[in-house]
Amino acid sequence: MKSVRIFGVVLASFFLLQSCKKNDAPVDESTLYQVTVNDLSADTIVYVDGQPVLSNGQPAGAGKFTFYSLEDNAIIASADSNTLKWDLGFRGTTIITNGGTSGPGAGGAFVYTGIFTDLTAVPADSVFKIDNSPTMAITTGSNKGWYTYNGQQNLITPIPGRVLVIRTASGKYAIVEILNYYKGGVTPDPAASDNDKISKQRYYKFRYTYQDDGSKKLVDDTVL
Amino acid sequence: MRLGITLLFINLYSLSVAQERVDSMALKSIDEVVVTATRSPRLLGNVAIPASIISAKTLYQSGSLRLHDILSEQTGIMVVDNFGKGIQVQGLSSEYTLILLDGEPLIGRTGGVFDLSRLTIRNIVKIEIIKGPSSSLYGSEAMGGVVNIITDRAGQHKTDANLRYAKYNTVDGSFNFSRHLNKTDVQGGFNYNRSEGYSLKPNSIQQTVEPYWRSTQHVNVNHMLNEKWKMGVGYRHNNTDIKNAIAVQNGSAIVISNGFERTNEYNITPHLQHRLSPKLETTLRGYLTGYTALQELKVKETEGGYDDRFKQDFRRIENQTDWQIREQSSFNAGAGIINESVSSNRYDSLSTKRKNSIAYFFLQHEEKLNKKLIIIGGFRFDANKAYSSVWSPKAALQYRLSDNVSFNLSYGRGFKAPDFRQLYLNFTNLAAGSYSVFGAQVALQELKRMQDAQLIQETTSLLGKVAKLNPEVSGGFNAGVKFRIASGVKGSLNLFRNDLTNMILTDVIAYKKNGGQIFSYFNVNRALTQGVEVDLEKKITATITAKAGYQFLYTADKDALANIKKGSVFQRDIQSGQVYRMTIAEYGGLPNRSRHNANLKLSYEHASGIFATTRLIYRSKWGTTDLDGNGLINRSDEYAKGYVQLNASAGFSVNKKCRVMGGIDNVLNYKDIQFLPGNPGRAGYIDIQVNF
Repeated sequence: MKSVRIFGVVLASFFLLQSCKKNDAPVDESTLYQVTVNDLSADTIVYVDGQPVLSNGQPAGAGKFTFYSLEDNAIIASADSNTLKWDLGFRGTTIITNGGTSGPGAGGAFVYTGIFTDLTAVPADSVFKIDNSPTMAITTGSNKGWYTYNGQQNLITPIPGRVLVIRTASGKYAIVEILNYYKGGVTPDPAASDNDKISKQRYYKFRYTYQDDGSKKLVDDTVL
Repeated sequence: MRLGITLLFINLYSLSVAQERVDSMALKSIDEVVVTATRSPRLLGNVAIPASIISAKTLYQSGSLRLHDILSEQTGIMVVDNFGKGIQVQGLSSEYTLILLDGEPLIGRTGGVFDLSRLTIRNIVKIEIIKGPSSSLYGSEAMGGVVNIITDRAGQHKTDANLRYAKYNTVDGSFNFSRHLNKTDVQGGFNYNRSEGYSLKPNSIQQTVEPYWRSTQHVNVNHMLNEKWKMGVGYRHNNTDIKNAIAVQNGSAIVISNGFERTNEYNITPHLQHRLSPKLETTLRGYLTGYTALQELKVKETEGGYDDRFKQDFRRIENQTDWQIREQSSFNAGAGIINESVSSNRYDSLSTKRKNSIAYFFLQHEEKLNKKLIIIGGFRFDANKAYSSVWSPKAALQYRLSDNVSFNLSYGRGFKAPDFRQLYLNFTNLAAGSYSVFGAQVALQELKRMQDAQLIQETTSLLGKVAKLNPEVSGGFNAGVKFRIASGVKGSLNLFRNDLTNMILTDVIAYKKNGGQIFSYFNVNRALTQGVEVDLEKKITATITAKAGYQFLYTADKDALANIKKGSVFQRDIQSGQVYRMTIAEYGGLPNRSRHNANLKLSYEHASGIFATTRLIYRSKWGTTDLDGNGLINRSDEYAKGYVQLNASAGFSVNKKCRVMGGIDNVLNYKDIQFLPGNPGRAGYIDIQVNF
């Protein structure tokens, strides 16, 4: 018993020394970016004379993806859709990655069930899927990927505990959590008018952690 | 003996065989008779399964008008407003509760819900409520419970009329008569009910409850051919008209559609009864019923608009034979054939009839082993054309410890047949997301048609699971005690547990090229409901009686429960938006279920005919809808608030022929616009009854 306890103390002091050592490294050299994006419009409903444009009987947008670079934290022009500049594309509830049938990059993704802040690394045994239209790496459809659609309320809600694990166009890693699908990051009240729900939808609020060094680490060593 | 004769004219099931038993028991305790529990008359105290009776007096003194009024005041029964007023029994929703009118099943459900406001209570002598599964006797839908409305068919000279006026220009008038002519009894009546409805949201185009008109007519004739043969026929017709106005916001413009909903229902109940010997009796019953619903909405008179038509027919012929083998053992057997059909423009077209045929038989044996122990065993087998066949066994026992304490134990299986909607629906909603729903029987051919037309983008893995639907099944266990304490308190306690499997859910089988989803039906879900119900009654003085009731209810989706245990279910905090792993304690169970339901009733009654009642009903918070995307009830904003409702009534007899009563429902004026649209707030009424 005694030897176990001594071993424990030794082990603890070893870790203490290790962490002291790493604490000396300058923090600003971190390759991790933690970002929250607000109101990213994703093919919002088009209105003509105050009336939503209908396609197949339902309100529709222009049908274009909004491309986003996780590395640069910026919207990428549609003209660059065939480049490696973007990592994610948003159109309605569909999210594409830059790879497979969607783009020229090395992108891929999978939907992880767990808590965003609990992830310290991209799981080593994780299997990235590649977009193969119409089957996307980030599964489309209610209760299949990142959201549920409530038909009675006509509302889209991100499923809590769904993390989109992303491989970017250039083969780096990031994790994304969709926080809201409505303008201002607030889901309309279930009792709100349909018009309210339609005009405010397709505005993403999401947060992500991006690792620029190509590793699968999602926290700075300093924190470990 | 008189008890027996009165029942004879109820003429539901054979009685004479059970007469001896009833008489011998009647000596021990004055008790009410219940027929629904065993399909033969039994004293309430001798029934081994949870059963209760609402008497005509309670109905009158409570000032009830429609069936849901009185049921909402019963322990463990919740009235839920969704496609009309449906009831929840032992935590099982309206689609799993069977409604019988004089022993015959009523049809015409919307979204599985049987709207109880269709039924007047004016000619009712009593309502019997059986909790737990009774499919062993009644077949489909008898899972959570059976409510049997027993109308007045007593052969006496009686003519009475009722007139009620209530808030919102609600008028209810009825006229009932019965005549005993030599060997023939005739009983008939008419009820008319209308209201202007009300609006909980001021200045809205649509009223919360739209104006409606309802009327019910019925006539029953029973004739005794001779000592051994009896026959009779009943006819009932019920129709409802509801005005409809729907406002749809189309961009900045508001489009108003006007129209109506109209339902028609008829029931014809012929029967022939033959007593082969004093101990053996057989009854042949026919039952023809039809239900039509029509909904029309038009923006302008001249234009075409929304038009929904639904027509259901149900025909049954059944024989039941009751045999009193010995004094202590009795046997019932029955068999029948049902032909059911539905046509609707929701399915294909009105000209296509969807049909199902069911052949069934049931057996039940009751044995009184000794003075203390009664056991009952039975089963029913339903062979169906449109879906799988079902066995429904049941076993129950009663152990009478003393004259004041008896224990009951029962286990039964219940089932609900897949309805026509789940089998044949063919519906595409172009207005909301262009989604389609196909019944399990038509899904594959419809999908093939769409694939051939190049309309399908992709199919899901669930497509391979589209198959012949199985009935939804439950196993129900009840254990209870009935007691009478020296201080004058009598009561009962019952523990229940229902395990449901094969519950039918919809899920996506394919996506259309335009993004629309295609749904079909699957037997996937498993759920449980369990709890305890307690009822107490005490006569405080010669004129004052107090009753109290409480139900604790726990419900859960078993798959959700397993996922929570696995740690794969999360929730989002309302304020911070933080995601947390959900715990079992945070899971609120199935939606629309209140964990606590209680009532306290005081009634005063004087021999002069003066009476007064106050009824306090409590329902704790209940889950409404998921808001944080996990599909489950967990967060505080996903619940409707619990409430207390107080109803009061009083009345007196003017003379022997005339009674006057009045009352106020919801004295405390509790309202919840969002979750209790069927509750208008405080409402008074006055009611006059004349017996000619």
